[in-house]
Amino acid sequence: MNDFTELTCTNLMIKLKILLKKLAPGETLSFFATREQVDNTCAPFSSNGYQVVWDQEAENRYLVRIGK
Amino acid sequence: MEHSATVSSTFFFCTPLSHERINWYTECVAYGAGIGSEQKRTFTVFITGDALFSFVDAQSREAWNALSELPSVQIVVDGDELRLHGLGDSVGAASPGITITERGGGTLFWEQLVFHLAGEWKGSKKAGFLLCHPPYMSRIPVHMLRFLSGAFNAGLSPELYAYLDGVHNIHNGQRPSEFENIGRTIATLSRTAGESGKDPWFAACSRCATARGYFQMNPGTGYCEPASSIEEITIRPLKEILTRFTGYYPILSHTSGGIVPRDVSGQQEIPPRLVIFITNPPYGTEWTFGGLSLALATAMDGIPTTVVFVEHGVYSLYGTHEVPPNDKVFNVQEMVAATGDVPSLCYLVHAPSLERRGIDVEEHLSGIRQVQNDELARILWDQASPATRILFF
Repeated sequence: MNDFTELTCTNLMIKLKILLKKLAPGETLSFFATREQVDNTCAPFSSNGYQVVWDQEAENRYLVRIGK
Repeated sequence: MEHSATVSSTFFFCTPLSHERINWYTECVAYGAGIGSEQKRTFTVFITGDALFSFVDAQSREAWNALSELPSVQIVVDGDELRLHGLGDSVGAASPGITITERGGGTLFWEQLVFHLAGEWKGSKKAGFLLCHPPYMSRIPVHMLRFLSGAFNAGLSPELYAYLDGVHNIHNGQRPSEFENIGRTIATLSRTAGESGKDPWFAACSRCATARGYFQMNPGTGYCEPASSIEEITIRPLKEILTRFTGYYPILSHTSGGIVPRDVSGQQEIPPRLVIFITNPPYGTEWTFGGLSLALATAMDGIPTTVVFVEHGVYSLYGTHEVPPNDKVFNVQEMVAATGDVPSLCYLVHAPSLERRGIDVEEHLSGIRQVQNDELARILWDQASPATRILFF
């Protein structure tokens, strides 16, 4: 499982754009992120046709799943 | 000269200048001086440090001398640094068109630079420096301090943004035996400016600081805290540092520039656009990643940002990069390809740099527009643009 909690919001956005570009229809990208990353970087992908869900795993640690 | 101009451009160089850079840069400025006859443009080039050797090198000197003959161009050279390097007499004799500052105890050049920038960015109350070099191995932190001290002495609030290896300047307990203590001087400048009613803003990038051990996780709180760093500099996310770039004031770096319309009505409310030159190969240093990250962050904040791959920077777009599975680096080509749709962000590649190396842009990146020097000049001196900041990485 990818752990992106240490990436800056900008670099997480770049990483997600790269990985989501390679994602086949029906596949899901899963990774760990912080609350700030979820709010600022992950959630906005839902307005670009992606389904974004997350579950809290620990203090300031969320399991995020993004699918097409 | 400058008071009747409608657009004022200032460039600052303090690192070694290659023939290649001097050639394309002087050609661009010459085009810039010639295009758009309805605009009167002036160009002022401030040169210090290792960039001074370009006046010794015969080929480079020729390009500078040709440029200095243009009536709209003024080249100002740091006389104290020239004499430090033993170049005072030879450069003065070989390049009569340039202005060499008088003996000034190491400060006169910087006072002139600050005075010029304050006149160019009219009404600005601050001056910033993006510092990407470490202390002692590099003299650029000394230049930074002279500039920010000059700005403070001129009544401006100094701002420091430590980025990439520039964050090493925040290390506490610096004790050089032979050099000016950079950490202590930064702390003193910040304190003095604050105590005198100015609003100093000294920050270091949290990503760069974390990577270098100055921002460490506290297992008790789950949050990072400064470690071994001087308290006058706050560690902040790059995104927060870049909010300063929306302000209307000069920001220098080791190689940088600014293009400012003289009619400032309404200009102060428009964030200056940013032009970033990526000049280094993609993976050998952090320059390319650092430049692209900064460009993307500013573009995502709505600042119009143009990235130009130039000189060795064009290697980022050559061949097909494959990152080995266990190598933890960003694939620069994937970064570029994935972010081509970011509004406010534009990628360009310098065609003469490709031609000089006999290479072309990789097919899957061929949508990136190639520009010759005349087109680059038109983009830089775009008449519809607000103020422009130019940074080299």
